[in-house]
Amino acid sequence: MDFNKSMAVAASGMRAQTERMKIIAENIANANSTSPTKGGDPYRRKIATLAPSFDRELDATLVNSGKAIPDKSEFKSQYDPGNPNADKQGYVKLPNVDSLVEIMDMREAQRSYEADLSVMDSTKQMLAKTVDLLNK
Amino acid sequence: MAIPAAAAAAYRAAAQMATPATSAAITPANIPGGNFSDFLSGAIKDSISTIRQGETAATQQVQGKANLVDVVQSVNAAEITLDTVVAVRDKVVAAYQSIMNMPI
Repeated sequence: MDFNKSMAVAASGMRAQTERMKIIAENIANANSTSPTKGGDPYRRKIATLAPSFDRELDATLVNSGKAIPDKSEFKSQYDPGNPNADKQGYVKLPNVDSLVEIMDMREAQRSYEADLSVMDSTKQMLAKTVDLLNK
Repeated sequence: MAIPAAAAAAYRAAAQMATPATSAAITPANIPGGNFSDFLSGAIKDSISTIRQGETAATQQVQGKANLVDVVQSVNAAEITLDTVVAVRDKVVAAYQSIMNMPI
């Protein structure tokens, strides 16, 4: 049934947003993670990707979460000579995570998830109203 | 003239529709699109498998194996299917009763 298909598409969107949320959570949680080894790189921010995928069985285009891409931008560096990870000049490399960007991303994921939820809700209501016609 | 010709063709078509060329009696076996009981049993088999999927998903969720979204989707589908089956059953029972209540 077509209604089941739209439910499945909405569910795939919700799954993809969940995956995206996981990556955002990793970024936020690691916003201050320095390198575990001396002189190494700190945590590198990941970018969640979403990709369309055509499902032959459903005959519909679902959305899948693709591979998380590492953010190639520069690491932040902070002057902290007392830190064991500091280099000779006394600077420590910090992750290239900007909490503001992550929070905006998080909001976007949340709104997309809510939109998918409303699609599911509306689909269910449409179906339920149609079935109600039989009861009259 | 094109219009009278078209009109004549339409009348002919209508006349053919009114008197079917095949006078074979309609029996449950040759109704176009299959008979009602086949349709009903097919629909019920589909419904049973949908409801089973919902149950399986719910069990897996309790065991911590399934994604919540999949569970919601399967359970929703099962719920709607059950509603449909119940509505159709009510209709069939109502039809049966109205036949049984006919004064003979």
